[in-house]
Amino acid sequence: MIPLTKRSTRRLETTLVSYSRQSLPRPARLYSSPSKSAHAPAFATSVPQPEAPLPYLPPNLEREFSKTKEMATFLHERQSYTILPTPAPADSSDTNTMIFPDTALQNMVSIIEACVHNLYDVPRAKTVFEGLRRRHRCDPLLHGGLYNLLLDAYIEMASVKEVEKRSHWVEDACALFEVMENGKDKVTPTANTYAIMLRAWVLFNPSSHRLVASTVDMPTPIMLLRAMIDRQIPVALVVADRAIRTTKEASEAIKMLSKAAVDMNLGKVVNELGMAEALGSRAPDPLDNVPEATPVTRAKQQMQVTHAQDGSVTDFGVSETAVEVEHEVPFNLANLRKHLAQVILARRVLPEDVAARQKLLEESVYDVAVERLKHQAELFDEIGLTNKGLGNNDLRKWMWEWHQKLKVRLKAEIATLAVEESKLSDGRGIRLSPFLTLLKPEKLSLITILELMHLQGGAGASKVMKIARALLSVGRAVEIEYKAEMCKKNNITMPSNPARGGDHGYFSRLGYRDLHARRVAAAKYMEDAEEWTSDWSQIIRVKVGAFLVDLLMDVGTVVRTAVDRRTGETVSEEQPAFVHSYEYQRGHKLGVIKLNSIVAERIAKDTVRETLHPRHLPMLVKPKPWLGHDEGGYLYNKTSVMRYKESTEQQIYLRQASNLGNVELVYAALDVLSTTPWKINRDVFEVVLKVWNSGERFHKLPPAVYDQPEPQKPEDFDFDPKAKAIYITRQRAWYNDKANNHSDRCNVNYKVEIARTFLGDTFYLPHNVDFRGRAYPIPPHLNHIGDDLSRGLLKFGESKPLGERGLRWLKIHLSNLYGFDKASFNDRVAFVDQHLADIYDSAEKPLEGRRWWTTADDAWQCLAACIELRNALESGDPHAFESSLPVHQDGTCNGLQHYAALGGDDRGARQVNLDVTDKPSDVYTYVANMVEEQLVKDIEKGNPMAQLLSGKIARKVVKQTVMTTVYGVTFIGAREQIEKQLKDRLDIPVEECWLAANYLAKLVLHCIGDLFSAAKDIQNWLNTCARLIAKSIPPERLSDTLRPTPPSQKGRPAPEQTLYARMRKEQMTSVIWTTPLGLPIVQPYRQEKRKQIMTSLQSVFISDPNSPAMVNSQKQASAFPPNFVHSLDATHMMLTALECRTRNITFASVHDSYWTHAASVDDMSVIIRETFIGLHSSNVLQRLHEEFCERYKGYKVPLPSIRTMIPKLPRTANILQISDDKESRTLDEQAVEDLRLKAGGLPIEEEPEEVEEDQGEEEDEEEKPKKKKAKRGGKRVVSSELNLDDKFVNLTDLLPPVPKKGIFDVDRVKNSLYFFS
Amino acid sequence: MQRSLFGAGTCSFRSSRPSAISRTCRRHFHDPKPLPPQDEWRAHFPSSFVDVRDRVSINNLETGRLLADSFLSGKSLGAGENKVVIEAYPGPGALSRALLRLPKSKIRKLIILESWDRFYQYLKPLEAVDPRVTVLPIDGYTWDSYSVIEEKGLLDDVMKHDWNAGIHPELHFIAQLPHGVYGEQFFSQLFRCMPTKSWLFKYGRVPMSLVLSQPMWDRGTAPYATNARCKVSVIAEATSQLQNAVRPSELQPYDDHFHPSTSRVVSKKAESKRAGQPHVAVNVVPHQDQLIRSDQLDHWDYVLRRLFVLKSTPLKNAMNSLAPGAPTLLKVLTDPELPPEERVNINDKIKNLTIKDWALIVRAFYNWPFSPEDLTFSNAEDFGPGREG
Repeated sequence: MIPLTKRSTRRLETTLVSYSRQSLPRPARLYSSPSKSAHAPAFATSVPQPEAPLPYLPPNLEREFSKTKEMATFLHERQSYTILPTPAPADSSDTNTMIFPDTALQNMVSIIEACVHNLYDVPRAKTVFEGLRRRHRCDPLLHGGLYNLLLDAYIEMASVKEVEKRSHWVEDACALFEVMENGKDKVTPTANTYAIMLRAWVLFNPSSHRLVASTVDMPTPIMLLRAMIDRQIPVALVVADRAIRTTKEASEAIKMLSKAAVDMNLGKVVNELGMAEALGSRAPDPLDNVPEATPVTRAKQQMQVTHAQDGSVTDFGVSETAVEVEHEVPFNLANLRKHLAQVILARRVLPEDVAARQKLLEESVYDVAVERLKHQAELFDEIGLTNKGLGNNDLRKWMWEWHQKLKVRLKAEIATLAVEESKLSDGRGIRLSPFLTLLKPEKLSLITILELMHLQGGAGASKVMKIARALLSVGRAVEIEYKAEMCKKNNITMPSNPARGGDHGYFSRLGYRDLHARRVAAAKYMEDAEEWTSDWSQIIRVKVGAFLVDLLMDVGTVVRTAVDRRTGETVSEEQPAFVHSYEYQRGHKLGVIKLNSIVAERIAKDTVRETLHPRHLPMLVKPKPWLGHDEGGYLYNKTSVMRYKESTEQQIYLRQASNLGNVELVYAALDVLSTTPWKINRDVFEVVLKVWNSGERFHKLPPAVYDQPEPQKPEDFDFDPKAKAIYITRQRAWYNDKANNHSDRCNVNYKVEIARTFLGDTFYLPHNVDFRGRAYPIPPHLNHIGDDLSRGLLKFGESKPLGERGLRWLKIHLSNLYGFDKASFNDRVAFVDQHLADIYDSAEKPLEGRRWWTTADDAWQCLAACIELRNALESGDPHAFESSLPVHQDGTCNGLQHYAALGGDDRGARQVNLDVTDKPSDVYTYVANMVEEQLVKDIEKGNPMAQLLSGKIARKVVKQTVMTTVYGVTFIGAREQIEKQLKDRLDIPVEECWLAANYLAKLVLHCIGDLFSAAKDIQNWLNTCARLIAKSIPPERLSDTLRPTPPSQKGRPAPEQTLYARMRKEQMTSVIWTTPLGLPIVQPYRQEKRKQIMTSLQSVFISDPNSPAMVNSQKQASAFPPNFVHSLDATHMMLTALECRTRNITFASVHDSYWTHAASVDDMSVIIRETFIGLHSSNVLQRLHEEFCERYKGYKVPLPSIRTMIPKLPRTANILQISDDKESRTLDEQAVEDLRLKAGGLPIEEEPEEVEEDQGEEEDEEEKPKKKKAKRGGKRVVSSELNLDDKFVNLTDLLPPVPKKGIFDVDRVKNSLYFFS
Repeated sequence: MQRSLFGAGTCSFRSSRPSAISRTCRRHFHDPKPLPPQDEWRAHFPSSFVDVRDRVSINNLETGRLLADSFLSGKSLGAGENKVVIEAYPGPGALSRALLRLPKSKIRKLIILESWDRFYQYLKPLEAVDPRVTVLPIDGYTWDSYSVIEEKGLLDDVMKHDWNAGIHPELHFIAQLPHGVYGEQFFSQLFRCMPTKSWLFKYGRVPMSLVLSQPMWDRGTAPYATNARCKVSVIAEATSQLQNAVRPSELQPYDDHFHPSTSRVVSKKAESKRAGQPHVAVNVVPHQDQLIRSDQLDHWDYVLRRLFVLKSTPLKNAMNSLAPGAPTLLKVLTDPELPPEERVNINDKIKNLTIKDWALIVRAFYNWPFSPEDLTFSNAEDFGPGREG
């Protein structure tokens, strides 16, 4: 209740200073090299320091501690864990809603929102809402935004739609406002709330011409103002709020509030409102964004803001020095908003609004698409190609025709549906019509068409799309577009990235807090400014998708012609473009959408530009920084910072971590990656385009027409089943290759299109992370993580002079790309010097010349490097040459590097170049040679397979298998990898590949064998921990677990099985850990539970991520080691990214391949090593153990579940603290010994899990655990001999100690030349 | 050895009680490697081996004799004299031994294919005591094996018999089909070789006698309008005449006749794919008039495979499954210009279509200018016959 006027003038001045442009973030002086300091603002010392600094501003910028020490301290500090309760089983009495949103409730919320939109059906929204409030009061899903939405809708109803019932609606609004105000529902009013109510007063106050009944008790401006002040909500924000629709309303509101303020004697508020009015009366200064042009002395806006520690705005102040405002411009709401945005957020957060073109791109995507299609269609009409001849088959023309038909049809169908649904009784069923009216039919139609075409373009080898996926994507696209519309509605100013890591580096406590405060401030601003929207459940997405796709299949047709083989006549037929049908896949009947084959053909040939949504494209401006778990990246298109694997748990943990401010550095690192500028490499692009247009096969570019001859039908085809079988195998492989060729062609098509679009631009790739924290660019088609072609097409958007070292690194880089990467650096340089003629030839005559570059491992990138090197050498002064080619430094078998460092494994460290060596060692070659030796032995034994394979075991054949061994590859996985490699070699008959791979996989795994024994220990430890965790039950569920189960209906005594089954059901604990950067990682593996959903097309089975099932403990255990190592390599990458930004080095990464300018490689190399050492000297495993002990404190493991593990657990004897649900006693040593003996002699009994091998996922290294065969008898025998069924052990007591570290000192990495090279 | 003697013809070998094996016999036959007693099979051939688990073998000599007779004599479609028999999947040879017990006038040559070593060890010695026998360590499942037989000249004395001149008088194929995917594939392939007259059918209408699981047989013989009707039953009906060799009850209970026994098999497979299902013995002979034209086999395959995905859907609604635009074929199938017997009731569910309906549908599809070009390979995920999701 502190009146704002009491603030002293003096205080205001200081705040003013602190927010003037002079205190814009400076580059961190400490970290910039002396040569750069000239670019830093020169007035660092001349700025008057604020006396009472804002909490996150430093008292003194010049601090003296070394950056690595800062990082090391950061890494050594005790981490902030994000800990949430473990979800309870679905059948338990506990409601999970606090953690796991209830899908039905989620649907209801979405329905309310959809009904409110454009006042579609507010009475229904109200009914549903009141119902929810009664039943689910205080549920987090009933967000304050929803209350505001309804409040606003009620007022709109009263003023626009149901004027005759005005009093009722206003009454409803007032009642709802009271509920919010008195905190009954634990929903807090925001500026938006007060703005709505203020507007209500403006519209319906007693002196207005729109009277409401006198019985309605509307809050007066005085009441509202008092409440605002109580809640420390600045009045200026309220009058500029989006709830205020027009300038007139705003000025009315200001007038009324001013009067109230005068009445209440609040001079400060009067001032503030006067300011607001003044701000609104000034046109935004276009030069505002250009620092040089603006004299420092010029009187600025006189509004100042005070931020609370969390960055929220607590106060406004008006400077006494305000100069008179020119009133040439009439008061305008838009101006007010724009100014406020700038002032409130302090320019450091929102320096400028440069997003114009990107906004345009994201705003008008569907409009642009329509225009293009229309234009194309008209063009065809003009030249008379319609419906005759070849022009008929143009993709764009078809899409245009479908669109014409579909939008009309949609309009009619939605209207019909709305009428039908209005007749339904008010059940809990989902009505679709509100959702379908969120967007115009034109847009719905286009979204459906484009989304399906895009999906098909990426569908890969098979020409079918799975129906569930297709429907979900269409539904999701509608949701995203609707949300984007909501975001755009208020024309918000976008926050952009600070140029550097702030004033204090990333790792100091101050710096961290600074980061946090800025992010929270910006996030709050975005939240206030955007209309609140709910997340749709899968069910709604699928249903909306089905409705749209169904209609498209109905109207989308193409005309095909063919020759009748009987009559020889040419006939034509109108056929559907899309067909819904079913197929068997893996024995499951699956709904699919098939494309008519002529449409599929065109996708590979025609321009596909139209089907690309901006959220598939790079960005033209720096991406929005990550402000929250779903706020960042694209300006309008909601993107999640993490790619969840259908796991709500992951999302909830991340949200919580974000709220707690635990993941600032992850956000910051992603912002670093996202703001690396890129350009298209025009020279390479021209070559690509030439080849592409020729339609011929060239290197890895697929030909337009598949060029391999179809296998010949053998003469004895009809009589000899064997010949037939071989023919069929080859034929199948041929068709498969042809289909792959087709999808490759589609793929390249996208890349070429995008490259063409962005040819002249500098662009950015927004990044997010997978659930292990590995970063990926969001645009899927053209990015640096893509294939050789994509990488060849990209270069940095900025250039740096090479210098002597840079030239050397450029040469080494070229040598690496060519494939000559096993030699010492000097040899690699020599290699390039020897091949200069080839390099020049490649650069100057890439297609006409000798084409040396096409023989490189990474041909396109090699070509780019050839051109760059030639240009540098020809420039006259190579050292001054401005190079923008990314130069890579790759970890050598990075997974093993981390294992070696974790374990201090001396031998391992040497194999993977952690140690100092003259020449890089190469594990893959080593293994390949071992395999060859083995082959020779087998040949002597007369093995024909060995004979066939001898001499063909290149490093490449074994590489992937060796690499993934550390990630726990299975035999099946290894065989598949090897089979693929063998097939690629082309010198082994296709039908032999499988057998050969089978044989070879055995050899390779055998050879790898104990080569990596040290890594094995750590893997085993991780595995054991994970298995125990996955078997554990949280303390709060114990009593439920032990509650006796009622005997079954047949009157049999409840079998012991029942308790066991209950225990298994209660095993809901997934393995969760925190990376050194604070990111909580939640393993998503649970039993799959699918729900059947009826749609207009067919019933679809989709999983509901909201209802968690018991964990899949096998997968939790087997996936943990690889996931853990990935979380480490991700951390290493992010640390490196942050350090690079601090030292002004351009950085990009492909997981364990780090990129920078040639000139910066030396600097980056130092950083890579420092961050690696920093990471691994922080006792990673010990800290993991500590975290487990805290996170899983009190969790109990039922002994029956881990019976077979007992003998393997080292410490069981001492700590087996066995407890009944009441008493607890210790098992004596003898008993444990018995236990060991008995359990040890028994066959291993894995719980009989129904782990179906899931269908191929994108992740290549995430190995699927192979189902183990359950051996008979184990369980029953043990349980009859040992009655342990109701015994529980503390999880933390069971966790084995961390494996002992070896002698390798990770500091040695500092001097290893080839660690990353 | 006690067990070295075969039972005699005079005894009641039709008895289903294995304990009733009579030791009096028609003539002496010295078995160089006698089969173990029934209750010891588990120890000798434990079901942990894939070849035991996935293959059911007759373990009762008496049953073997019963079947040998029912395959080659009496009312059997394949009855005849002077036979050259190829036996695949013999197991350790209960049936093989019964076949050898038949006189030379009945069987003049027995070619046994067995690739699993443990079984092979029980078969190979038979060569030494009977010149009619050849035992080859090769797998009856692979087509190669039959080339091997020919290359060894074992079929040189078998003449090619005109397709229209009746059943092949000499050649006879006998197999105990594995259950599971391989067996099912093999089973359906046998029928698919008939229209093209490939494999052994190049010699003519060679009769086949099979021991197979009841569920597999049910799928093969399911009449139209039943739920079990599927692609295999349609092709089987179109290509061949089928006959139970003995009453199914004669082979019950399963455990008295076959190995591995029911209780010993623990598997997560669907029940019908597990060992321990009732088994039947059948005779199969190709039709003289093959409804499926040899150049349309792929079309039959394709049409049946695609349409049986929706077997309870009326034809008119299922046509979309064939190919985009395929519903236009409905017009052809119901063309009022056609005589009624050449029209199809498109309201019939897929499983209710008769063999005649199918022939009409395939013909229409074959003539359709827009039928997909890659019929055989359009669905690489296809598992072969009779797979229901």
